[in-house]
Amino acid sequence: MALTLMKGSEAIAEAAIRAGARFFFGYPITPQTEIPEYMSARMPEVGGCFLQAESEVAAINMVYGAASTGARVITSSSSPGVSLKQEGISYCAGAQLPCVILNVMRGGPGLGSIQASQGDYNQATKGGGNGDYHLITYAPASIQEAINIFGFAFDKAEKYRVPVLFLADGIMAQMMEPVEMPEMIDFKVDPEKKPWAATGWKPGDDPAKRAVINSLYINTEELTVHNNNLQAIYREIEKNEVMYEAYMTEDADYVITAFGTVARIAKSAVNELREKGVKVGLFRPITVWPFPYKELKEAAVNAKALLDVEANEGQMLIDVKLAVNGDKPVEYFGHCGSLMPTTAEIVAKILEMKEGK
Amino acid sequence: MKKVYVLIGNYGSGKTELALNFAFRAAEEGKRTELLDLDMVNTYFRLAEHGKLTEMKEIRLVSPNFACSGIETLSLPAEVASAFDMDWDTVVFDVGGDAVGSTALGRYHQDFMDLEPGALEVLNVINIRRPLSGTVEKIIRIQEEMQAHARLPISGMINNTNLAEATGPEELRDGYEIIREVSERTGVPVLYTSGKKQLLDRFLSEGHDPRYIGTPMYIDTYMARDWNSWIKSL
Repeated sequence: MALTLMKGSEAIAEAAIRAGARFFFGYPITPQTEIPEYMSARMPEVGGCFLQAESEVAAINMVYGAASTGARVITSSSSPGVSLKQEGISYCAGAQLPCVILNVMRGGPGLGSIQASQGDYNQATKGGGNGDYHLITYAPASIQEAINIFGFAFDKAEKYRVPVLFLADGIMAQMMEPVEMPEMIDFKVDPEKKPWAATGWKPGDDPAKRAVINSLYINTEELTVHNNNLQAIYREIEKNEVMYEAYMTEDADYVITAFGTVARIAKSAVNELREKGVKVGLFRPITVWPFPYKELKEAAVNAKALLDVEANEGQMLIDVKLAVNGDKPVEYFGHCGSLMPTTAEIVAKILEMKEGK
Repeated sequence: MKKVYVLIGNYGSGKTELALNFAFRAAEEGKRTELLDLDMVNTYFRLAEHGKLTEMKEIRLVSPNFACSGIETLSLPAEVASAFDMDWDTVVFDVGGDAVGSTALGRYHQDFMDLEPGALEVLNVINIRRPLSGTVEKIIRIQEEMQAHARLPISGMINNTNLAEATGPEELRDGYEIIREVSERTGVPVLYTSGKKQLLDRFLSEGHDPRYIGTPMYIDTYMARDWNSWIKSL
């Protein structure tokens, strides 16, 4: 298939539709407004539903409702809007509703800025809402990778009955890249495969088959059983769904850790440093939850030190340190707000570490 | 005579890049040039990012006061009037994408109508590798919508088909085929074909009908970002 030149927002929206998403609920916020804009034009063409909610809170609750029917549902927002959604996300996790949520991160805290940032890593991976829950969280580093992940994101959400979160940033949504789109899949809700879904119970049907979608368990014992079930699912996900990229880490003296857009910048730094003869590699988690602890430890086994680079205060740094568990020194470089670390800055930092400064 | 170029087109078709190229070319020919940013749609990828570059080339840049400052609501600056009132050789308008972006032109309808006959060129920048410009029907639909919103007839089309860093020789060729059909159906001529020198030269040597090529325009890229080089490594 021919390549097309697409903006991240458009590509993500189209990829979701091709993966069977037929319901989009959202509210505009820069830098992801092009996603609802695209959905508003495209959903009617494929017989889907685009609805601009009155707020992000309403949008995520519409997701809860539509996902309850077994349909493929998506919402998108940017940092402050995703904060508003947290309650509903926790409800979706509690009610075990498969759905996809996009966070196109911008600067924070609060309204912050409309430029790109990675400041919501902790919110995404450590749970922004209440209760013991996790979302399978993908942090793609290119538009094509985001498209490819959409090819299986709904499948994973449905397999484990967990919400899936895409953690992108303003650059990913605004940049244009040549991409290849997959074919449209023919998705239909199969009540046999989704016995939990509310697909239409009629009087006279088996009362046991009545679907009740709920996250409220008044009885303590029942809530404990429910949570134990969720925990078992999370352990399964941790075992099966870790994704990462290790780039030139085999012989690396220094392993850079970074995710999303920043990992791309770091990769350019690795290439530049390799040309200078410095043995550097990049370890990039593609799933930031589950985090590839074991894989990072293995990738850094021969390294002298690690450098964690992020466009935040070093939120992933904690996971990187947990992965190496004190075996290696781990340094951090990055900026808070919306200032992106540059290739030159990363190169300088590694050279500094090499010279033992 | 003052020459006024108005660049409209599908979102992401390359209007800002071409606006810079039109302005730089005029300035290099010694023309007194004004470049105006009329984009009311997108807060990113603005001409204002190239303020120093345009200043170096002695081009006057008129840009919304808050462009690039992270403000989400854009306003048209009063200085747009200078495009019509002052004595420029060349004026280039960079307009927002799609019909919604073209709406900003409606505000200046009377000013455009008062220009000398032949002074105004309203150009539809087309990149058929953009998903909403991929077919003859889509291009015609956007062109009609933009024309209605801009309240200006489109003088001609620019074949600016590209895939950014991944552009190959087939881009301009495929663009030529589709835009030729648009031209045949609508009567809107192809006035320019734009591309980087090597690719454009190659396209020109292929012996296509010059009526659907228009003036070849070699362009340099200014709006490209670092991530174009990151593609290779990912």
